[in-house]
Amino acid sequence: MASLGGGGSSATEYVVRVPKNTAKKYSIMAFNAGDKVNCSTWTQARMERDMSNRRMYAEEEATEGAAGSEFGKKQREEARRKKYGIITREFKAEDQPWILKVNGKAGKRFKGQKKGGVTENASYYIFTQCPDGAFEAFPVHGWYNFTPQAKHRTLTAEEAEEEWGRRNKVVNHFSIMVQRRFREPERGDDEEEEGEKGGKKKKKGGRGGDLRIHDLEDDLEMSSDDSDSSMGEDGEGKSKKKVSDAKGKGKKKKGSKRNAAEDSDDGDFEGVEVDYMSDDTSSEEDEPEKVKPSKTEDVPKGVDEMSDSEEESEEEKQNEEETKEEEEEEEGKKTPVHMEKKKKKGEKDSSGESDTSDDSDIEGEAASALFMAKKRTPPKRGGGRGSTGSSRTGSRPGTPSIDSGSTSNTLRAAANKLEQSKRQMPPVSSETPAAKRLKMEPSPQSPQPSGKSTPQPASGKSTPSSSDVQLTEEAVRRYLIRKPMTTKDLLKKFQTKRTGLSSDQTVNVLAQILKRLNPERKNINDKMHFYLTE
Amino acid sequence: MSDKGDVDLTGAKQNTGVWLVKVPKYLSQQWAKSSGRGEVGKLRISKQQGKAEVSFTLNEELTTIDGIGEKAALVRAPREHPFTMQTVGGQTLAVFTESSSGQSDTDGSSSGTGTGPDKIALEGVVVQRAECRPAVSDNYMRLKRLQIEESSKPVRYSQQLEKPVTTNYKPVANHANNLEYDKKKKEEGKRARADKQQVLDMLFSAFEKHQYYNIKDLVDITKQPVIYLKEILRDIGTYNVKGTHKNTWELRPEYRHYQGEEKSE
Repeated sequence: MASLGGGGSSATEYVVRVPKNTAKKYSIMAFNAGDKVNCSTWTQARMERDMSNRRMYAEEEATEGAAGSEFGKKQREEARRKKYGIITREFKAEDQPWILKVNGKAGKRFKGQKKGGVTENASYYIFTQCPDGAFEAFPVHGWYNFTPQAKHRTLTAEEAEEEWGRRNKVVNHFSIMVQRRFREPERGDDEEEEGEKGGKKKKKGGRGGDLRIHDLEDDLEMSSDDSDSSMGEDGEGKSKKKVSDAKGKGKKKKGSKRNAAEDSDDGDFEGVEVDYMSDDTSSEEDEPEKVKPSKTEDVPKGVDEMSDSEEESEEEKQNEEETKEEEEEEEGKKTPVHMEKKKKKGEKDSSGESDTSDDSDIEGEAASALFMAKKRTPPKRGGGRGSTGSSRTGSRPGTPSIDSGSTSNTLRAAANKLEQSKRQMPPVSSETPAAKRLKMEPSPQSPQPSGKSTPQPASGKSTPSSSDVQLTEEAVRRYLIRKPMTTKDLLKKFQTKRTGLSSDQTVNVLAQILKRLNPERKNINDKMHFYLTE
Repeated sequence: MSDKGDVDLTGAKQNTGVWLVKVPKYLSQQWAKSSGRGEVGKLRISKQQGKAEVSFTLNEELTTIDGIGEKAALVRAPREHPFTMQTVGGQTLAVFTESSSGQSDTDGSSSGTGTGPDKIALEGVVVQRAECRPAVSDNYMRLKRLQIEESSKPVRYSQQLEKPVTTNYKPVANHANNLEYDKKKKEEGKRARADKQQVLDMLFSAFEKHQYYNIKDLVDITKQPVIYLKEILRDIGTYNVKGTHKNTWELRPEYRHYQGEEKSE
């Protein structure tokens, strides 16, 4: 208060007081400068301690009563803690963070956490100037760092990790939060949501909705006839693309998750666009699902070629058309050329369907690009009608003749297409539609009685002379020309179920045929092999 | 009276500017010793060549240090403390107060009186930060040395004793504990088998309170010999070998009727 003049500098002196008994405890409220907090703009504020951690420290008494409780449990727990030296920290209300709400419900929220170590080595004082000119110094009891709290929704840790894994693939980031919100309510809400945002955002697919535009590798547009659910069910009039889409995006499934899961399968559908036989398409949507699992199974299987036993057994399952398929399988092992031969020999059904199915089938086969034909696949194909082409994929590559279920009608067409299709990557879907088509087709198809399966087996088994699989000299000759075989192999080729003969009969007939043919003999691996050169 | 949690914003609205000053520990200790109105010293603010210089002078009577040891009386706290001014920088600092009792503050700058628990008021905003430094002097050096010596003393130390300690244990014919124990045992006598029905009653009432019991605890409660008790227990209860409640007895399900469980007798 006294001012000293002197030395050209002006100085003022103020008395400093440290009030003794003040009931108020001073604390510092620190905001980050970047948050641009201006306290003078606050109209109203509420602040209280955040007691949410109280539960952690308090011991929960789950069951005080009889059920589930033990006699003397508390004492025992306490004794145990003492023994191990476990000290639980107390819950101090003083140390809890503050929750500051500014300007009511719609305003900002801050969380103030206590900063430790402030009063340990040096004390902070607040100097305020009183009206009488003196300074008053108040010690600071605590320092709280206030940070603004987000009001918008955030991802949980697990969700964040998921999204991080997909960060390279996801283009549309808005949809992440939208889909998250979808997952919470019922799926039926999807459409409402989409209705809101449909125009604005690109959808990642996989959401139910009318128009889907895919961000990801598949730039296919799906036109859904109805809502999500219908996509799967209605099989008509959908192009094969839909299959891939459905497969990839999941009609009813939430896009992102499904997408991620199916990313690896995208390549399978590249060839889908080729086929546009909408008439023939049956409900393919079901196929993809089944196809997928089956496909994966088939592929590894397909690699083991000469696993005769497996193939045979599978064939028996599928059988029916097997007769043709069997032949084709064998030929499938060899070059496509042979295939064609066989195919031509085979029966043909209405080519119309077969073509389409063949296309799809063949494409599928070529796609897999595996070498050897699998006997398996053909039989599966045949039966595949029912089993949705589980067999399809595996054996494709090598065995163009293996048209699932298309044995008769598709043989020739398949052979033709095989070479074309080799360049394309037949998507799995094509097979499935094919298989499906075959399923549906048989009925309308006159040449073949409904269910190829039935006619085939009938023809195959009951008329030994006509079926290719029958135990004829021609068949044996063909086998032996191709490669040397032991009698055992030959027998396997002409399984009793296929040929309709009993095992004894088969043996006899085979023996006669061999006598007639008089093949040359060679010893391979200590086994006697027969072969013919022509 | 306002609702708990409401913040009194008068200080913020007025934009009262305050200083945040960091003060060394010994100085704050000296300040705590002040008497009367709490006057501790004088603050001089002078402007020299455009720069403000602030310095604090401690009052004479507060320079004596109450320390431990012989050296304390010789050492005195320094009197001159120049302030180092700093900018507030990357933080917006506000000052709020909590008052837990209903005392009114007579000073003008404070606002609001705490009538309820934890009344929170915003006092103002920090406009200037400063550090109070002691002017370097011999006094200060001595003071510091004293402090260091004190802090470097180990907390634990070994001391040699001259005579062995004889105050704790003396050999005794029989300890007091043991004597009591034996007496207690004699009084109680051996446990007698009570009526089976009575024991069952006792057991059922015990199991009403808790579900799982140790055999020892049951013996305590029922005061029955162990073998007898075990026989009875085998009738009505089961022995838990595995699980969380290991080695405990519990009633059989058909006898149970706990709230938590959905079984009935």
